[in-house]
Amino acid sequence: PTPLPGQDVAPQRVEIHKLRQGENLILGFSIGGGIDQDPSQNPFSEDKTDKGIYVTRVSEGGPAEIAGLQIGDKIMQVNGWDMTMVTHDQARKRLTKRSEEVVRLLVTRQSLQKAVQQSMLS
Amino acid sequence: MEDCNVHSAASILASVKEQEARFERLTRALEQERRHVALQLERAQQPGMVSGGVGGGQPLPMAWQQLVLQEQSPGSQASLATMPEAPDVLEETVTVEEDPGTPTSHVSVVTSEDGTTRRTETKVTKTVKTVTTRTVRQVPLGPDGLPLLDGGPPLGPFADGALDRHFLLRGGGPVATLSRAYLTSGGSFPEGPEPRDGPSYGSLSRGLGMRPPRAGPLGPGPGDGCFTLPGHREAFPVGPESGPPGGRSLPERFQAEPYGLEDDTRSLAADDEGGPELEPDYGTATRRRPECGRGLHTRAYEDAADDGSELLGERPAFSAVTAPLAQPERGSLGSLDRLVRRSPSVDSARKEPRWRDPELPEVLAMLRHPVDPVKANAAAYLQHLCFENEGIKRRVRQLRGLPLLVALLDHPRAEVRRRACGALRNLSYGRDTDNKAAIRDCGGVPALVRLLRAARDNEVRELVTGTLWNLSSYEPLKMAIIDHGLQTLTHEVIVPHSGWEREPNEDSKPRDAEWTTVFKNTSGCLRNVSSDGAEARRRLRECEGLVDALLHALQSAVGRKDTDNKSVENCVCIMRNLSYHVHKEVPGADRYQEAEPGPLGSAVGSQRRRRDDASCFGGKKAKGKKDGEMDRNFDTLDLPKRTEAAKGFELLYQPEVVRLYLSLLTESRNFNTLEAAAGALQNLSAGNWMWATYIRATVRKERGLPVLVELLQSETDKVVRAVAIALRNLSLDRRNKDLIGSYAMAELVRNLRNAQSPPRPGAHLEEDTVVAVLNTIHEIVSDSLDNARSLLQARGVPALVALVASSQSVREAKAASHVLQTVWSYKELRGTLQKDGWTKARFQLAATTTKGPKGAPSPGGFDDSTLPLVDKSLEGEKTGSRDVIPMDALGPDGYSTVDRRERRPRGTCSAGEASEKEPLKLDPSRKAPPPGPSRPTVRLVDAVGDAKPQPVDSWV
Repeated sequence: PTPLPGQDVAPQRVEIHKLRQGENLILGFSIGGGIDQDPSQNPFSEDKTDKGIYVTRVSEGGPAEIAGLQIGDKIMQVNGWDMTMVTHDQARKRLTKRSEEVVRLLVTRQSLQKAVQQSMLS
Repeated sequence: MEDCNVHSAASILASVKEQEARFERLTRALEQERRHVALQLERAQQPGMVSGGVGGGQPLPMAWQQLVLQEQSPGSQASLATMPEAPDVLEETVTVEEDPGTPTSHVSVVTSEDGTTRRTETKVTKTVKTVTTRTVRQVPLGPDGLPLLDGGPPLGPFADGALDRHFLLRGGGPVATLSRAYLTSGGSFPEGPEPRDGPSYGSLSRGLGMRPPRAGPLGPGPGDGCFTLPGHREAFPVGPESGPPGGRSLPERFQAEPYGLEDDTRSLAADDEGGPELEPDYGTATRRRPECGRGLHTRAYEDAADDGSELLGERPAFSAVTAPLAQPERGSLGSLDRLVRRSPSVDSARKEPRWRDPELPEVLAMLRHPVDPVKANAAAYLQHLCFENEGIKRRVRQLRGLPLLVALLDHPRAEVRRRACGALRNLSYGRDTDNKAAIRDCGGVPALVRLLRAARDNEVRELVTGTLWNLSSYEPLKMAIIDHGLQTLTHEVIVPHSGWEREPNEDSKPRDAEWTTVFKNTSGCLRNVSSDGAEARRRLRECEGLVDALLHALQSAVGRKDTDNKSVENCVCIMRNLSYHVHKEVPGADRYQEAEPGPLGSAVGSQRRRRDDASCFGGKKAKGKKDGEMDRNFDTLDLPKRTEAAKGFELLYQPEVVRLYLSLLTESRNFNTLEAAAGALQNLSAGNWMWATYIRATVRKERGLPVLVELLQSETDKVVRAVAIALRNLSLDRRNKDLIGSYAMAELVRNLRNAQSPPRPGAHLEEDTVVAVLNTIHEIVSDSLDNARSLLQARGVPALVALVASSQSVREAKAASHVLQTVWSYKELRGTLQKDGWTKARFQLAATTTKGPKGAPSPGGFDDSTLPLVDKSLEGEKTGSRDVIPMDALGPDGYSTVDRRERRPRGTCSAGEASEKEPLKLDPSRKAPPPGPSRPTVRLVDAVGDAKPQPVDSWV
């Protein structure tokens, strides 16, 4: 489906406090995408050439969910670092720095309306 | 020394013990032979001995009178047996020496075939030479497993068997003559090479050879043989050409697994879900043989009496023989094994030690053999051959073997009937439906049913019902089974085994059901046929005693907490299927339609109104105000008082069944049973008739909702699906809807999340299940602001959005977006939605843009050309029960289900589905398709993506 024109997506800020789990600090979500990944397989992107980092899963009751992160959100920045042109692994490392207990994300979220439209058009 | 040309000997399996026993007999026999020989020599002036057999034209036959596997010139050990095909030829030499006064024993033969060594030990008695052979393996056996030459009559239960043998044995070296003559066309004793193909016809000659009137003991000379033999050939058209190659391949198989039949049955049993039950009878069958054999001996011998008293005298020796023989084979008397070896026995006994398995056409021809044991054995062998071998099954059909077997079902002899039925059971198993059709075409169904009526023997009943179960998985046969077998199956099996009594004795407590194999098979068969559409359901419902008995059996299962077995599963599935569309199909159903004021009075009326409201999307305006009223109505719902106990099909939808199904849902660990029980509730709670209203309320009163909600956590996809749909139907009851909205929403949403990101590998939910969950959510949020709020609280919106965005299934995405639209339709919720990041403007847009398409779609509108055909056809048939349904297009009864499996066999279905699920596992092939769910495990849509590398996904 061709994206409808005029979709502006307002970025949102999400602040996640990592949860200590044993020796690890976890955020409670998973990411997909990156410039080294096949963008056409990203189910969440509107533009199938988009190599951005997307939220693929959010663990129930985890820090990310509590913070309001949602499946399908596209991560634009992590603590100010650009995430739109990074490899998958770079993004992962950026998110899991042990020295940072809080990450601030800038994400864009597809609108519900959009999702519905997409499904009706497909 | 001159008179000492004797021959004789039988290479047979004899063991040391039997040797003694035989000794005497042989002695006498030899003595007689010697006389004959002497006579002949005199007459024919036969020069010494021709090594490797006596030249043709010699009136030797008489000399060969008893047994003789090979002839050999005295003292010279030239072996006749040298076969061209050296490697696997067995050489068997029996030496007969006549060296009166010098008892000696020779071990004359060592044969190796396939690595086995065979020893022939010859003992010479004082007066005459006697030959005793001891074979370790490869002994030609009679049909009964006794060594052929010993004159061991077939031990089969059939006395006739013995005749064959005798016939052969008798008649002046009949054994030799027949086969030989046949082969060599005339020579009395063909040279070694000639018999070469002879051996391959060994079985033929035995089988058919006996046919001709037997000649007196001395009678049949070579000439006789020649005369009779040709017939054989004709009988086995395929024989000659295929002989050698086929012969070889088969034997290999058997050698590899010498206990063919046993293995066969064993694996059958293992396959069978009821495995353990089967084993025993196979065991007995096997065990039985020897006994029968023994019993028959007598008679056999009597028949053979003319042969001379010597044989008679031997009788005792035989039993002794049997045991030892068996030893090398592990003591197993596996009938197949025996069978196989038996036929070639003549040949092997003679020149060609090597036995050969009969070719398929030969086996089939033996089904017509006048001698019953031959028929029975041929059928048993056929059963073995067909085990897990689709190719053979097909050939049996092509060679028109099925009508022969079906005809044998009416045979006067039990053994023949049993064996024929055993063969049919294997032949009827499998994905190949042509065999099933062929069995029907030759009247197989009524014949099986007749046999069931007549049979008292449990094994036969198991075989018959197993075969019927196999047949019942084939759509076109279902009605035939109902026509011919429903009454019989019900009255002969279901009712008696269920423990139900038409007129229960008030003093004694109710009988429990017996989970016998016969019951399991029969219930499996009825389960299959119960899915054959409205007419089939009608017939089953109206079959007197059936529903009563099934219900009784299930209650008994619950009472004994024995709810995991296959029989229970079958019974519940039948009940579920019969519950489908009860509100439309049972006689007098229209009297209970809610359109009428029914006994419920206002409650019914409001219930109906509610449903109308719900079915149009504007229904939300009605919400709220009715809740209180509903509570009152339904919590005080009075079930109708009956003046007399319900019976027959009425039992299907009495509110009392709710407790039964809930018990099963609570206790059973069998997923199929859980699915079926939930499906039954789903069916009963669909439809707008009075009974559905009662059922919906009863489920709540019996505290069934928590039971169902808990099952939403089931690890088994189809259970989740059935439960979700049941909840949807139950929520037609307003009070249920509120409760489900409050308590089930979290579980429903969790399933959506799992659809998105499976909690563990392999836990992927099938499309149908996801769609079912979505439809249920849709139903409970429609017309209920509170429930919509629950959805938001359960964080359902992100899950729905993710599903819409990422699902590879069009149906899932559409169903999810329907829910989203409904949620959006509540203005009260928009604030909350906005807070969560969804902007008002976009929602409005969404609402308007989606509304258009949404109202429009008819069920047909959901057909999507990208869907695989299978899905399409299913969809068509299934009307609504599992599709994304525009809620407004479907009445509540659109949600009922019938056994799914039935609908799939359409040919399009892939592996796991269709027929085999229920077919009697009797078959071996059983293994192939996992008895599991009837649907493809891989989502068709997903398959596309499989080729690509899996995208990386990392938890952080």
